[in-house]
Amino acid sequence: MINITQNLWKDWRLHVIVLAIVLLTERIGSFNISVGPGVILLLPMLYAMVVGIGIYFTPLIKEKQSKSAESLVFLAVCLLIARFGVVAGASLPKLIEVGPALLLQELGNLGTIFLALPIAVALGLKRESIGMTFSTGREGGVAIIVDKFGLNSPEGRGVMAMYIFGTFFGSIFMGLISGFLATITPLHPLSFAMASGIGSGSMMAASSGSLIGAFPQLENDIIAFASASNLITICTGLFVSIFVALPLTEKLYGLLTRRKQIHANIKEKNNVGG
Amino acid sequence: MLNTIREVTFVFIIVGIVTLLGNWVGYNILPFEALPGIAALVLICLIGFVIQAALPSKIPVIVYIAILSVVLAIPGMPGSEKFVKWTDQVNPLAITTPVLAYAGIAIGRSWTDFTKLGWKTIVVGMCVLLGTFLGSAIIAEIILRAQGII
Repeated sequence: MINITQNLWKDWRLHVIVLAIVLLTERIGSFNISVGPGVILLLPMLYAMVVGIGIYFTPLIKEKQSKSAESLVFLAVCLLIARFGVVAGASLPKLIEVGPALLLQELGNLGTIFLALPIAVALGLKRESIGMTFSTGREGGVAIIVDKFGLNSPEGRGVMAMYIFGTFFGSIFMGLISGFLATITPLHPLSFAMASGIGSGSMMAASSGSLIGAFPQLENDIIAFASASNLITICTGLFVSIFVALPLTEKLYGLLTRRKQIHANIKEKNNVGG
Repeated sequence: MLNTIREVTFVFIIVGIVTLLGNWVGYNILPFEALPGIAALVLICLIGFVIQAALPSKIPVIVYIAILSVVLAIPGMPGSEKFVKWTDQVNPLAITTPVLAYAGIAIGRSWTDFTKLGWKTIVVGMCVLLGTFLGSAIIAEIILRAQGII
């Protein structure tokens, strides 16, 4: 939670710098880069993040500003959630209509396991891969793994690596790929809008922002679907992670490593035989 | 608790001002036109914090905020039309930009941690995000098509 002794609002240096970043990046505006049939959108929010990271390394920012900024992200996300909530409320009849899709697409969050775990195992990662792939590794995921395995276990190191990766790269990555995938794949932008609710406010913002940039005529539907899906993920994500995702990951890890072991044995036998 | 609410109020006013100015420069909406919208959003966030502080449960504050703003905007709720009209003047991307500007400054501190991650972690990390994104999108697509909505 927010540390009240921090006197966040009095950190004028931070607020003035952020204001300057916002004015500069909004002034530059957005650009579309065509990549084959798809479009990669460069939006002010992405420049803002990159400029922010850059400014951290200048003497303008001290440790104190960087710490205050962390709480400010959280508070600014609250404002964003409220803004998105208004659109979701206004589109409630439509949300009820798409309710089945909204609820069931939550199962798609298990896609982290099916896509990333085999790749992690193929790359030679051991039990770290369980912590890395059972969820997107946000705060809730870290808590689950630390509770079950401890922070100094392979699983703990895995989830922490993913936490750092997601914090650092998640928003930028989602902002770049969501508009691109929506323009290049046959899937509908509104399906991607639902998929944007990953359970992280800033990733949802980056992902749906990129979709809005690519399909401005669908703005309200995109926001409504993304925020509803994000809210559902926040409410159900922890339970799904504990009771479905983590056991499933461990099971699949067992299967994958056993298969790998059998393959290795066969190879060895053949080598001996040959 | 009173201190927290006071602190949070001041912070929201500052973030609100930054948003109003970004909304002006980037999306050509004059600050006074967007002021009622941003004020309403700030008020909702504050009520969310008050509710969370008043209740003993540990539900994240954004859940209260989301539910409040959703409920107040439902068609037919008293004042919902005005509420939606006001907040329409605040471009969502104008809020996203300060969020990520603050985020950039905040995560600069973990740069060294980030550079220590090996390339394998980066590859797996991208697959994790791609996996949840594509997985959800494919399921949503199937059901929305089956329902004939898209």
